[in-house]
Amino acid sequence: MKFWTSEYTFNHPWDKVVQAAWRKYPNPMNPAVASIDVLDRTVDEKGVLHTHRILSSKWGIPSWVQNIMGSPSIMYSNEKSEVDPNNKTMVLKSRNITFCSNIAVDEHLVYSPHPSDPAKTLLKQEAVVLVKGVPLSSYMESLLTTTISSNANKGRQAMNWVISKIDEELKDLSNTASKSTDEFIHHTKKSLDDITVSAKKSMDDLSSVAKKSLDDLLPSSSSPGPQALPKF
Amino acid sequence: MEESQGNSGNNIETTPQFMNSIADECNDLKKAYDDCFNAWFSEKFLKGDRNLSKCDALLQLYTVCVKNAMKVKSIDINEVEKEHLGTENERRKPS
Repeated sequence: MKFWTSEYTFNHPWDKVVQAAWRKYPNPMNPAVASIDVLDRTVDEKGVLHTHRILSSKWGIPSWVQNIMGSPSIMYSNEKSEVDPNNKTMVLKSRNITFCSNIAVDEHLVYSPHPSDPAKTLLKQEAVVLVKGVPLSSYMESLLTTTISSNANKGRQAMNWVISKIDEELKDLSNTASKSTDEFIHHTKKSLDDITVSAKKSMDDLSSVAKKSLDDLLPSSSSPGPQALPKF
Repeated sequence: MEESQGNSGNNIETTPQFMNSIADECNDLKKAYDDCFNAWFSEKFLKGDRNLSKCDALLQLYTVCVKNAMKVKSIDINEVEKEHLGTENERRKPS
């Protein structure tokens, strides 16, 4: 049995990191991940989000391991996670499905606000690798542990890449929104100007029509007798 | 629907835009659900609204598709829930 642990700090707040975690794939650092599917998702009475997912990977198994274990074209793994927005923790646990009669790779990740800086996020990661019932099991454990470590580094790069992508999207969105707002204000002002001009013109027209009507009603030379005025 | 090619490079240009589902026929359902969930997660869940029902209908359609695909591919998720190593389910070398 082999153990592996590691810690990493993201220079981003927890809220942003956990959003990125759900959008981690696809990314250029982990091209082997072929599919991810949600099997179940619920929120419990404490407001904790529980998710069950199945992931598949296309490669990443050294060929000599395949020679011993057989060569699956796809490796599946099972992941269960909890996001507690009150305590600000996101916990992910995964285990391989493929080869599970001989190999157990258990991974455990916890994202939480960094204890010394709430604007940062701490990732604590650990893995337990157990291989039994096949030759060279101890060596396979070491190799799998090395693979996990290398994948972890790629995973962190991937997270940072996704966070940048999300930031870009937000920037684009606010640029579009402010551009739209500017256009809207300009358009509204123009409309108001038009309306004002129209209204003014209408008022002028109305005044001249009213005056003309009044002139028509009133005889021009003498003061009007009561019967000449229309009854209102 | 964009599909993942068998890319071997780490090139950003070859990264597909969307993650695939376990079976191609579930891709559209997956995308619709993921979009709904990601929006809900950022705009509601992290801001205190814990009501998940907004994406329920999409989740139902999507997970039914996935579970059917798993049956076709003979993937038994319950297998992994059981402890294999150290029990009689552990595969041993023929003696």
